[in-house]
Amino acid sequence: MKTIVREPVQPIATEEPPQRRRQLGPRPMTSSRFKPMTNGLRVDGLHKSFGDIAALRGVDLEVPRGRLVGFLGPNGAGKTTTMRGILGLVALDAGAVTWDGRTMSEEDRRHIGYMPQERGLYLGMKVHEHIAYIGRLAGLDRETADRRANDWADRVGLAERGNDLIQELSTGNQQRVQLAVALVHEPKLMILDEPFAGLDPVAVSMLSDVMAEQVEKGASVVFSSHQLDLVQDLAEHVTIVAGGETQATGTVADLRSRSVNRRLEIQWAGPVPAWSPPDGEAQDAPPGVSRFVVPAASDAAALIAQASAAGPLTAVSYEPPDLAEVFLELVRS
Amino acid sequence: MVREVAEREIRTRSRTKAFRVITGILVAAAIIGPIVSALWPDSGHDLRRVTVGLVHADETTQQQILTFAEGNLDLTFQDYTGVPPAEVDRALTDGDIDVVLDTGPTLVWDRETDFEIAGVIYTALQQQEVLVRGRVLGLGEGDIAQLLTPLQVEERFADELHESYGVVEGVAFLGLMLALNIPILFGQLTMMSVVEEKSTRVIEVLLGHIRPRTLLLGKVLGLAALGAAQLVVVVGGLTAAMLLTSALDIPASVWRFVPIIVVSILGGLAVYNTLFALLGSLVSRQEDVSQVIVPVFIPILGGFLAANAALVGNAESALAKALTLFPLTSPMMLPVRVARDAIAPWEIALSLGLLALGVLLLIRVAGRVYEFTLLHTGSRVGWSQALRLSRGAALD
Repeated sequence: MKTIVREPVQPIATEEPPQRRRQLGPRPMTSSRFKPMTNGLRVDGLHKSFGDIAALRGVDLEVPRGRLVGFLGPNGAGKTTTMRGILGLVALDAGAVTWDGRTMSEEDRRHIGYMPQERGLYLGMKVHEHIAYIGRLAGLDRETADRRANDWADRVGLAERGNDLIQELSTGNQQRVQLAVALVHEPKLMILDEPFAGLDPVAVSMLSDVMAEQVEKGASVVFSSHQLDLVQDLAEHVTIVAGGETQATGTVADLRSRSVNRRLEIQWAGPVPAWSPPDGEAQDAPPGVSRFVVPAASDAAALIAQASAAGPLTAVSYEPPDLAEVFLELVRS
Repeated sequence: MVREVAEREIRTRSRTKAFRVITGILVAAAIIGPIVSALWPDSGHDLRRVTVGLVHADETTQQQILTFAEGNLDLTFQDYTGVPPAEVDRALTDGDIDVVLDTGPTLVWDRETDFEIAGVIYTALQQQEVLVRGRVLGLGEGDIAQLLTPLQVEERFADELHESYGVVEGVAFLGLMLALNIPILFGQLTMMSVVEEKSTRVIEVLLGHIRPRTLLLGKVLGLAALGAAQLVVVVGGLTAAMLLTSALDIPASVWRFVPIIVVSILGGLAVYNTLFALLGSLVSRQEDVSQVIVPVFIPILGGFLAANAALVGNAESALAKALTLFPLTSPMMLPVRVARDAIAPWEIALSLGLLALGVLLLIRVAGRVYEFTLLHTGSRVGWSQALRLSRGAALD
């Protein structure tokens, strides 16, 4: 019988964010969530309202150099507003955005590679031309911009489409151009808003590789996505926002281990017996398998023993929920 | 960076089918016009065709009229003898005939006296009457001939360029048409470019690398340069075709105000490109453009109409002088008043100075509004809000 048990360290419910008084104007850099950090991006206590709607009510985010961070949240949580606030596209009501320990400047922003959620491309420009143009706006000389445009067009799989108009490309290929535009000037910080939306598996793989390469080169990369299985595979660290506030931040393993629930899955050798663990909630399962959600404080060994007594088993797994379930727990709470 | 933006605008706009088609049509018209004119060499010297309806006139009278019309009018007669008056009047109002010569003698017109035709017919009839009266008075044919010999009146012109005035007027009108159409065409291209950047959200990527005012300046200058290039191509083609076919002998007097036309058109391009860019920043979608574009046509069309009136009428009226100094209308009025030689040098300097100042001020105001409205999406920004933004208010 195969048994998989992934034990939590200690069950901790959602970490309550500290109460903050709303302030107008930028605040001094403080942190009750993060240790002081002097490299990479740090976002502290962002507030932004649009009329009566409070889009951001205290968002914190940290993306050190050489780290890939998933920035997650339900629709309307404030992810895009946070990103636009970092880029200076939105005037923030309160909070601080710092880079390498100092307030982010206009010069710092020129070194950001940004992929907006909606395609931000000149449809009437040619692929190579567009990539090179952004490179020159970012400060590259003509020769370097042309060379990098060629390199990146090749890297994203559009080498043969360099002379085609962007409007002639499919949505997925336009997304690739968008990525090349974000990378042509070798940014130190990448902000990607829903970069995987609309991509086929090949393109997803390409984009994932590119992001990993940038991280290896020491760039800070933060991306948002609703594809949590992808985030779980790609990002070691995530920050979850909901209702305009940061709800949780940490490694994926850490967040999973902090869940108040555990998943118990039993594969039976014979017919499924009428057994369920105490305080457990049955889940849908394929034939011959039982799935339950049990409290994290449960005694795993006792549960397995009880199940064995109910009927012959071929496999048991006991582990924290995946990132998607953790996300739902936090958001619903 | 202004240069990068300007180059992008020039490259992408000049590549569009619409731009190439329009430029092709203009160049073709500029070249074909003089060629057609050369193929019909008399077309520039045709006399005015006039048809006189005759209710009652004898051969002698007709011959007399034809004699005086020779070299002035291409005159023919139509016989309306015995035709009911209502039908004759209808022929006049329908334009079949230009005037009716009835018994009396009486000249019947449609609405008003045409003095060019009247002068020829009056002179012919007067000559004939003198001949008849002379004979009645018993004068000999020689005496009558002496009486009828016309007085030779010498003419002299104070303006030594008078012979070329028709050409000057023509060139001034051409300049006026270009000063009207080129800013409208390229102004709308500028506006479309701004709205495109907002609607495709590419502006969010651009603003990470470039300031809004730099973007605005590059756009305005790039499309102004493209407009100037189109102007050079069209006018160059026209001039070459004209000189090649000798369809027109361009007098030296024309060249004295051609630089003014060029500077005025370029100034008009700068002013209206900036204005259209400002308007484009107030909306987020191409469909909303019509809500904001109407006001800009008031000064440009008003300026054109006033300049056209000054070209054929009084170029020194108070209105003409005022519009020469207003930056939104001076690109059209200034060349006309220079062509008419109805403007002092200090007025020219003042007009150009105010135009330059107007461009700078407009870029400053537009830049301030642009900064705030560029990222605004959704409903359009109203004019009063735009004015508040130009004074530094926040968009919310």
